[in-house]
Amino acid sequence: MTTETIGRRFHHLEVEANERMPECQLVLAPTTAEEAAAVLDAAAEHGLPVLFWGNGSHQGFGHRVETAIVISTERMNRIIEWSPADLTVVAEAGVRIGDLALRLLEENQTAVLPEAPVEATVGGVIASGQSGWGRLRYGPIRDRMLEVVLATGDGRVVRGGAPVVKNVTGYDLPRLATGSFGSLGLISRVALKLWPVGERAATVTVEAADRALAIAYRPLAVIEENGTARVYLTGTSAEVETQTAELSGTAVDGLDWPHPLAGETVLVVRVPAGLTGAATERVPSSWSYQAAFGVGEVRLAGPSEPAADLLATLRDWTATVGGAAVVERAPEALYEKVDPWGEPGPSLELQRRVKAAFDPLGICNPGRLPGKL
Amino acid sequence: MSLADDLAAFLGPGRVKTDPLERHVYARDGGLRTGPVEVIVHPRTTAEVVEIVRTARNHGSPVVARGAGTGLASGAVPTGPAVLVVLTRMDEIHEVDEASRTAWVGPGLINLELSQHIAPLGLHYAPDPSSQSICTIGGNVATNAGGPHCLADGTTVAHVLGIELVTVDGEVVMLGGAAPDPIGLDLRGVVVGSEGTVGVVTRVLVRLTEDAPATRTLLLAFGDTADAAATVSDTVAAGVIPAALEMMDRVMVGLIENWIHAGFPTDAAGVLLAELAGHPAAVEAEAEMLSNIAKANGALSARLAADADEAARWWKGRKGAFGAVAQRAPDYYLHDTVVPRSRLVDILGRVHEIAERHDLEVMNVFHAGDGNLHPLMPFDAAEPGTLERVQAAADEIVTASVEAGGTLSGEHGIGLEKRDLMSLVFSPVDLDAQARLREAFDPVGLFNPDKVLPAGSRCFDYGRPAPAQ
Amino acid sequence: MTGGWVTRDAPTPEELAACIHCGLCLPGCPTYRLTGEETASPRGRLSAMSAVADGIAAVDETFEEMMSFCLQCRACEVACPSLVPFGRAMEGARVELAAQRPSPTRRARGRLLGRRGLGSRPAVALVTMLAAIGQRLRAPRWLPGRLGGALGGLRPLPVRAPSTLSDTWEPLAARVGTAALLAGCVMDPWFAGVHTASIAVLRRAGYRVEVPAGQTCCGALAAHDGAADEARALAATNRQAFAGYDLIVADSAGCGAHLKEYESWAPGGEGWADRVRDITEVVAEAIADGRLPTQPETGTPVAMQDPCHLRHAQRIIEPPRAIVHAAGYTPVEIDPLAMCCGAAGVYSVLRPETSAELGGRKAAQVTATSARIVASANPGCEMQLRSHLGPGYRVAHPVELFAEAIE
Repeated sequence: MTTETIGRRFHHLEVEANERMPECQLVLAPTTAEEAAAVLDAAAEHGLPVLFWGNGSHQGFGHRVETAIVISTERMNRIIEWSPADLTVVAEAGVRIGDLALRLLEENQTAVLPEAPVEATVGGVIASGQSGWGRLRYGPIRDRMLEVVLATGDGRVVRGGAPVVKNVTGYDLPRLATGSFGSLGLISRVALKLWPVGERAATVTVEAADRALAIAYRPLAVIEENGTARVYLTGTSAEVETQTAELSGTAVDGLDWPHPLAGETVLVVRVPAGLTGAATERVPSSWSYQAAFGVGEVRLAGPSEPAADLLATLRDWTATVGGAAVVERAPEALYEKVDPWGEPGPSLELQRRVKAAFDPLGICNPGRLPGKL
Repeated sequence: MSLADDLAAFLGPGRVKTDPLERHVYARDGGLRTGPVEVIVHPRTTAEVVEIVRTARNHGSPVVARGAGTGLASGAVPTGPAVLVVLTRMDEIHEVDEASRTAWVGPGLINLELSQHIAPLGLHYAPDPSSQSICTIGGNVATNAGGPHCLADGTTVAHVLGIELVTVDGEVVMLGGAAPDPIGLDLRGVVVGSEGTVGVVTRVLVRLTEDAPATRTLLLAFGDTADAAATVSDTVAAGVIPAALEMMDRVMVGLIENWIHAGFPTDAAGVLLAELAGHPAAVEAEAEMLSNIAKANGALSARLAADADEAARWWKGRKGAFGAVAQRAPDYYLHDTVVPRSRLVDILGRVHEIAERHDLEVMNVFHAGDGNLHPLMPFDAAEPGTLERVQAAADEIVTASVEAGGTLSGEHGIGLEKRDLMSLVFSPVDLDAQARLREAFDPVGLFNPDKVLPAGSRCFDYGRPAPAQ
Repeated sequence: MTGGWVTRDAPTPEELAACIHCGLCLPGCPTYRLTGEETASPRGRLSAMSAVADGIAAVDETFEEMMSFCLQCRACEVACPSLVPFGRAMEGARVELAAQRPSPTRRARGRLLGRRGLGSRPAVALVTMLAAIGQRLRAPRWLPGRLGGALGGLRPLPVRAPSTLSDTWEPLAARVGTAALLAGCVMDPWFAGVHTASIAVLRRAGYRVEVPAGQTCCGALAAHDGAADEARALAATNRQAFAGYDLIVADSAGCGAHLKEYESWAPGGEGWADRVRDITEVVAEAIADGRLPTQPETGTPVAMQDPCHLRHAQRIIEPPRAIVHAAGYTPVEIDPLAMCCGAAGVYSVLRPETSAELGGRKAAQVTATSARIVASANPGCEMQLRSHLGPGYRVAHPVELFAEAIE
């Protein structure tokens, strides 16, 4: 009944459900943070759970959420302000990362967001804390978060940070929102720090990733994919040429990134950077993997059948070295068998209180986070 | 038993100070204000900090953490009788993981000592505030400290991977860790830059940065600060991000030269100090490009540091700039606003116009590459009416920066100095949200109360209240 | 509580107002680095002085403890961008302590450091004789703690103290001028080798060397301890004794630093400070001019210890290195901060624990290198280093090393 009331009130925002969305009664696509806040306020009034949806690229993370309403960011898709001279861009949550990347390339700039899938949205990659391959050189996505506008779980529009590259004015909401999986509210708009794109780039296939990491100076990435190691370089022509020679591998021009992992189940192992190689040794031979050396992230894909056991084995190890093994994508059945996050960690109570500060009624993506927060 | 007696019971009398003169000495940090200190304690372990927090809470006394006391926003100055927790003796380097390029350190460790310790590994700790020779990692975490080299490498928050925090309940919570992207809400960013208001940081896991194989340091002199500012914008627009890009005006340069003979040109209106760090093949080309951009903008001279010693002398001069102001007058007012770097020329003009109108001297030394301004106004508070003029000019400068799309503080923090200006950049709803976030950590107002957020930030009228439980 | 100052030597409002609390003085301060306490830092000490000046704190026991913990090494002065004359302010605070917190021991110490003690040749000669006898009885082995240690730091002493006083030596090269040497109080009898070397090298550099009669102890230790009247009397005597000379040379860093600051103890017209030079300045200049020879490098390392009153008070850094290098050695750096070795005049006697901790640190910096010779241009540092390094190390004045090399 109550969803119908909301449906009538926000009829003008209603859009068709997408077949990949979870089952729900209502899909609304607000055009502004204020509209989203109004929807959240109404949902809060009726105690109805809400799930946020960009492109659905990263909905495989975390516990499954049962929702009444889906808020889609498809109509919040403007690049509001781009100041090439300041190396900053302000974009709405629904902007597709591929579109943003192409646009920024017009002035040879990049936000170092994930390279794929291009349909993923800015809001989605931020909410799920996904960084581009270039994080080895430019740091994780949280380091480019300058400002955020949130429509909170109790219907407020809250802004934190500022669209300048350096800031310690109040608490850092932009970083708090990064990787929050919609638990605080809808990330409506963000300001991101940009980097210039180097004049030249190269992909060098080398013998060993760890040795290459020691030789190369600030490469974009050092990735080992199923046993093949590649170093990704960018910079001035002279720098790329010299570094290529120093690595003594086989080089091709441009950045030949790995293709997104195929396989019905994708797991992510996160460990201290020095243990990246050790993590790859724990990948079963029937699984494919992509390991980001110097970062400590190994993503592996394979069949869902042994995934639960594999996850348990990996977690036994990550628990001893300080890290995690999480599910990025899997058939629904796996989520019933395993906790997609693993142990929630020691700060759960504090996290619960922080979520409550933004979403006091617990309607935003309820249960998604570790500890079913 | 008194608070001091309770504290001395487990710390021993030698590490608890209550003498009026000692309290007076601890009543001020690097900022302008003083505040009432009730007891000073010097813990050495996390367990002692836990006991201090519990004891203070039992006595209803606030807890204010302090490192070396070089903060410029009076962030470590209590506003009411408080326990001042001086963390300088928790200065261990617990563990260095060379392979992962991380280190666990105590909050009292001196920033520069960390870099010196790991130098043999070809690593350094990137944030380098001017006070790095004495400021502590814990203090850096509190203020999200920056420094010249944050232009390319980011401020403290980009270099803190894990935090051990003593909470209001006297519990020890570990946030983050060496593995990337810790699961759950990432609370590290809340603690960094929180100015001691969410707990006491007792251990920090920092990211270590690889030393650049090559460095070139350039000194560019200009006849007009606007030309210097234009050079900054053009450099970034050309796709070159120097490791550091600093500007000083003529007055500032003169004062620095009085102190140490850094070798800055004293006749230029503005001087840019630029450092290019990276692969040898890159820095050579970038240094040339920067020189050319400077010359195209009318630079009077462009000089490359002859050797590491000369570069070190230039940096020493730059980093002593604030202190040198006292040669001019006994007091000074310092800003830390940030503007989009494309607005630097405008805002510099505005700053000079405002100071002139209030009959005040102003000098500039700042992180030009970041758009982080540090206009300084020396004055003598003993002269009647001066303080009022300074305050008026200061408020106008902040307002002008905010109107240019900027913010209040880039690296010093809000503390007490800029607390009441927060409403210039945040709406009442924004401030309320920040107050609620703080409350989630500290519902009783134990940690460094009255800092960061202006009084009345927490408003119960915003948003839908949680159902009564 | 009543604060305020009572003497004319007290820290002045200008001296105190110059501090803006930036904290750049903290890194080099030995007592801050040992304790991590603001009350043991230059900034904290200035803040305490200001509290007294403003009448909100008294010259009480806590104030005395804060002030007397200071080594007066003046490393803070070098670091201070506001140019606070901390050494002067601290001397003023010590004078206030003497005036407001008098005690029999302080008075006795004042006499010991003044005209009837260090300023008296017979008194110094008597002490020298006793010490020399002590050395022959191997006293360092059985004397208790500090006294044994102090005696252990001394060079072997003659029972009858030598003296350079009233002597004159002609130059051994084309004459460039006359150098008037400060004989000092204990330099003459205890560090005769340094004087001998200084005189020999000055003569080779073309100076006629005179040791004017009528001179006395420079008064540095009295000034550092707040014995203002003694310090003034000694300074006045020396100003008179050295009145006619254009070049006054000290071969003890502590004495040279204090001589250069005589204007505040015995005013007598400008220009005095420019006439006073440390021996290392004069010798390094002569080496640079080619008036003194440079020996080929032997590769033997020499650890460079920078006396505070050479490096911080007089800002002399390069000359001793140039001299050691010209003597054929390879100067080895041991401490970029040039932190105090803990000798600090009478500090080693008054604060043995802190002094020993710093002495141990300094010795460790030396032993971390391959050097077995340490160059130090100050007698107090030399004794401290010798007693902390133990056998197997030689501690000498850089000019001594140079004099041997060109013999």
